[in-house]
Amino acid sequence: MKTVTGSLPRARIPYGTWGSSYFPAWQTSALAEVNIGQFAGEAANRILGLRKVPGDQLEFLVIGSTIPWHWKFWTAPLVASCMGHRIPGYHVEQACATGLQAVLLAGAEVQNGYDAVGVVTFDRTSDSPVGVFPERRAHERTHALADVWDNFGFDPATGNSMIAAAGKTARKYKLDRREVDDCAFRRYEQYFQGRESGFLDRVLVPLDVLNVQGRPLGRIDQDLGVRSVSHEQLRGMRELDTCVTSGGQTHASDGMATLLVTSKERVKEFSARPEIDIEFIGKTEVRADPSLMPEAPALAVQRLLERLGLGLEDMAVLKNHNPFAVNDVVFQKVTGYDWNKMNNNGCPLVWGHPQGPTLTRVLIEALEEAVALGGGYVLIFGCAAGDVGIASVFRVS
Amino acid sequence: MAKTMREPAVATSGVLRQPTLATMGLGGVLDIFRRGRLPVETGALVDQVFGPAGERGALVISGASGIVGAGKAMQLGARLQPYDIRIAALDFPGAPDGIARQYGGLVGAFGPKGAAAIMQNIVRLSYDGTSLPSELKRMNPRFLLEAIPEILDVKRAHYELFRREFPGIEIRSVTSGFPSKELGVGIAHPAFPHEINKVWEIVEETPSPVTQLFWSLGLIPIEVSDDWSFVLDVLFCGVTHAGLQYHRASNMPLWKVDKYIRKLVGPNPFRAHDAIGAAGANFLTWSCLHHLGERYGDLFRPTALLEERCRTGQTWYPPNHFRPLVDWKMTEADEAEFRAWILGPLFQMTSLMLHEKRGHLSHLNAIGELCAQFRQGILAQMRALGPDAVIATVEAYHRVHPQAAGSAWHPEAFAAMQTPEWRQLYVNAEHDGEAGVVTINRESLSGAVIEELDRAFDWLKAEGVSRVILTGDFHLATQMVGADTSDFYPALSDAEQGRRLSAAWSRTARRLEEDFEVSVGFVNGKRCLGGMLELLAHCHYLVSVGDAGLGFPEVTLPVVPGMEGCHWPFRKSAPEHWPRLLTMLLGGSAVKAKDSVGWLTDYAGPLDDALRTAWAIARGGDHGVKRRLVQSKALTNVPTDVAGLSDHPEPATAAARAAIMECVQRACGAPLAEALDVQATISGAFMASKTCRGGAVGMEYAKTMEV
Repeated sequence: MKTVTGSLPRARIPYGTWGSSYFPAWQTSALAEVNIGQFAGEAANRILGLRKVPGDQLEFLVIGSTIPWHWKFWTAPLVASCMGHRIPGYHVEQACATGLQAVLLAGAEVQNGYDAVGVVTFDRTSDSPVGVFPERRAHERTHALADVWDNFGFDPATGNSMIAAAGKTARKYKLDRREVDDCAFRRYEQYFQGRESGFLDRVLVPLDVLNVQGRPLGRIDQDLGVRSVSHEQLRGMRELDTCVTSGGQTHASDGMATLLVTSKERVKEFSARPEIDIEFIGKTEVRADPSLMPEAPALAVQRLLERLGLGLEDMAVLKNHNPFAVNDVVFQKVTGYDWNKMNNNGCPLVWGHPQGPTLTRVLIEALEEAVALGGGYVLIFGCAAGDVGIASVFRVS
Repeated sequence: MAKTMREPAVATSGVLRQPTLATMGLGGVLDIFRRGRLPVETGALVDQVFGPAGERGALVISGASGIVGAGKAMQLGARLQPYDIRIAALDFPGAPDGIARQYGGLVGAFGPKGAAAIMQNIVRLSYDGTSLPSELKRMNPRFLLEAIPEILDVKRAHYELFRREFPGIEIRSVTSGFPSKELGVGIAHPAFPHEINKVWEIVEETPSPVTQLFWSLGLIPIEVSDDWSFVLDVLFCGVTHAGLQYHRASNMPLWKVDKYIRKLVGPNPFRAHDAIGAAGANFLTWSCLHHLGERYGDLFRPTALLEERCRTGQTWYPPNHFRPLVDWKMTEADEAEFRAWILGPLFQMTSLMLHEKRGHLSHLNAIGELCAQFRQGILAQMRALGPDAVIATVEAYHRVHPQAAGSAWHPEAFAAMQTPEWRQLYVNAEHDGEAGVVTINRESLSGAVIEELDRAFDWLKAEGVSRVILTGDFHLATQMVGADTSDFYPALSDAEQGRRLSAAWSRTARRLEEDFEVSVGFVNGKRCLGGMLELLAHCHYLVSVGDAGLGFPEVTLPVVPGMEGCHWPFRKSAPEHWPRLLTMLLGGSAVKAKDSVGWLTDYAGPLDDALRTAWAIARGGDHGVKRRLVQSKALTNVPTDVAGLSDHPEPATAAARAAIMECVQRACGAPLAEALDVQATISGAFMASKTCRGGAVGMEYAKTMEV
């Protein structure tokens, strides 16, 4: 393994001090009925408890979400209170990059002096709120905006929808629909392999949700909405835009994920396997040309690896946020990396798109995979609204 | 301060263990029967404490607007008002009016007239903390009950102020933590809820007239030794501390820790703090644990979270708009660790209290039940486990929390677990060589009480005593309310367990008929219900104070009476009384003892007369009470219907009535030798029925045990 200096040399991620809820598709589970900020706080507390991390050791909390939730004004301190602790913190929001950005910012907080920073990312797409925006200069005077669907359907900077961006990128790279379908099929295959092998059990935590009377409302123990899809079914699906079908794009879902970032001095106190060292190596972001969002992550990866002096062949694990199968095929077109070799055990294309926690779960799964492989560099990347690509490298040794 | 509990003041030939009354200088229960009256007289004690009529002084309660002060102003005000003792309720001018808030409760208990009379006797006075109002002097204060905040210097200055102004005034502090030797006054530490809980922990050199007066007024003073936090707050703060430690180790939210503690032990300490008022209760708990921690080390040292909540007064449960969303379930391994985290420190703390001889063991045990919601007292729990398991539990706790192992651990204290003091926590026996008295100090009948009754009967027989009175202990049990329904939990899902429980308890009850030449059940409190009545009814004679309520409320739970209540009273009464018995069983309402003579009781009258009658019967003197024999043959023509009670619109009650009626018919219709099994089988089957599981017992089980 090539040696490069970490970007946040004081920050570490203690092995195993993480977890994610399952991501049920929107409107399919009890998560459709909860204050997701409260749920995320309580669930994070539960997960950290199962991981033997005393919550009172947390000094700071970074939360990440993208969809407004009740009392979001109170941000991280409120979520911390739902965890049972009075600690400060803040909220970070960067569309689908949120889940990674929150971890990186937690690393930065440790670099700046904290010893134990929690990350809690979450979103509830179900019943997303409707915002009412008085706009006196606009001809409609007042706009009402359904937070999830209206935003997916319209990038104000370009006037295009997300799907249109995927189609435009597919056309730019002259993608073959059959390859995109093959890629989508492979992703489903990888997810079910991860589930059947028990890999996902190391990452995902079943959670029981209560109603206001304290009685069971539902158990969140499946990525509801994930269905087994055959090649033939994928081939037969109607194109919504170039190379974009319902099987080759993600679906809206609800969920949360959490992870702990500590100083290297204290990491052994928290880690389930203190011999494992997980470092922050580097991170970058790029913005692609208008409506070429699926291209952006590949460009970010190129830039980051060039800056670090590393190549894709140095990476033990690659995993990305891929709302479209188009993303992964474009990644191969740009970097030459075989999409078959990445996204083992599942990815957002399959298990859904709750926005805030998506890349946190991607990271957790990737770190687990790297540990299982005996270590190495972990490359995490993904796209975000605004044609943004984000990429980050971690080292597991 | 005397560390060893005092010897009984009366001369008896034998005591199984020391009667708790003796700790207050009131002798034993046998002596009450022998004298035919109670050991002290309220009027005389009032004269002694407050001065004779015409020169009566007042009771001053300082901090009277607080939770404790206001509650005790009501409790003592109601009891002292007939003796024309005025109460000066003293507090700062700006203190929120805690007295007026009590009025509604008084009306509920005494009606508008009674409440007004009590309130009229309470004079509210303000003071600035440094000088006393002149009106106070005119009231001639004789007794100060101090209920001001737990700040040592402030308390001491307060006593000084009163002593300067009123030399010779009797002072008691309600402190929950400071020993008497720190304060320089006696302790009368009351238990929450203060309006109604009768228990007071008492610290004093020798039993005082104040303590005896409290007892005489129907309260429950409990003598404890002069050690930090006495007994109640070691248990209550201790279980809170244990829960906080587990919370820290596991992250489990406090509301859920509370539920698991309730399942394991009985109390829900965090809910209790919020119910009492978090701001005050958090401080008191911190104060107790802080001082205990200073003296005894890490076993008690407050957690950082308690310090925060003490500082902020924040509640332990989340607010309503954040009712918990994510549930927590424990695996079996988790529950085993949880037991170590909760029971470990409680057992260790108890070892300390035993080592320091903080009280009569029955007191140590009862305080948890009467004041801290323990389903079983701490000593009863430990006894059920045995010393090895108790020590292993504490050692398991030390493995997860090694800091606690360093101090205040006295495993040698469990070596005495086979002595009568440990084995007879609930039941005692005394005798004079000819007649004995068996006393129950628990208001509800449990498996542990039954086992202790058997041992007490065995002991009396071994002592050659064949004439016995069975009664309450005139101290900790002020009434007899029936069976402890938590003992029924295993039977809710297994009819055989219910049958076995019913049969075993009934066999113990039958010993009163079969093992003794003469047995007398004596009802001395306000009521005797359900299983307790079934138990006492097995005596050859049943004697009661006239005003006591007697009843079989099982139908209201619903359960089917399990200790032969469906046939035994029928076998002892003439057929013309059977409809009355059926009415009691099917309706669930109580009757006054004085209205039940001849068909349920054998004598009912004023306390002193009843005592003398019971003693005369037990001693075989001329008592004039005819013994009603138990008919051993099958009874015939037992009514199958009672006007107005054969049906009920509510299905559960209708089902219960049908089951009880079936039990009456079948048990009465069987010979005595078979009736026990008939009743036990029907009672057990009903406990496992959907009707019972949907009733009060099942609901309580679900609330407590299904976490």
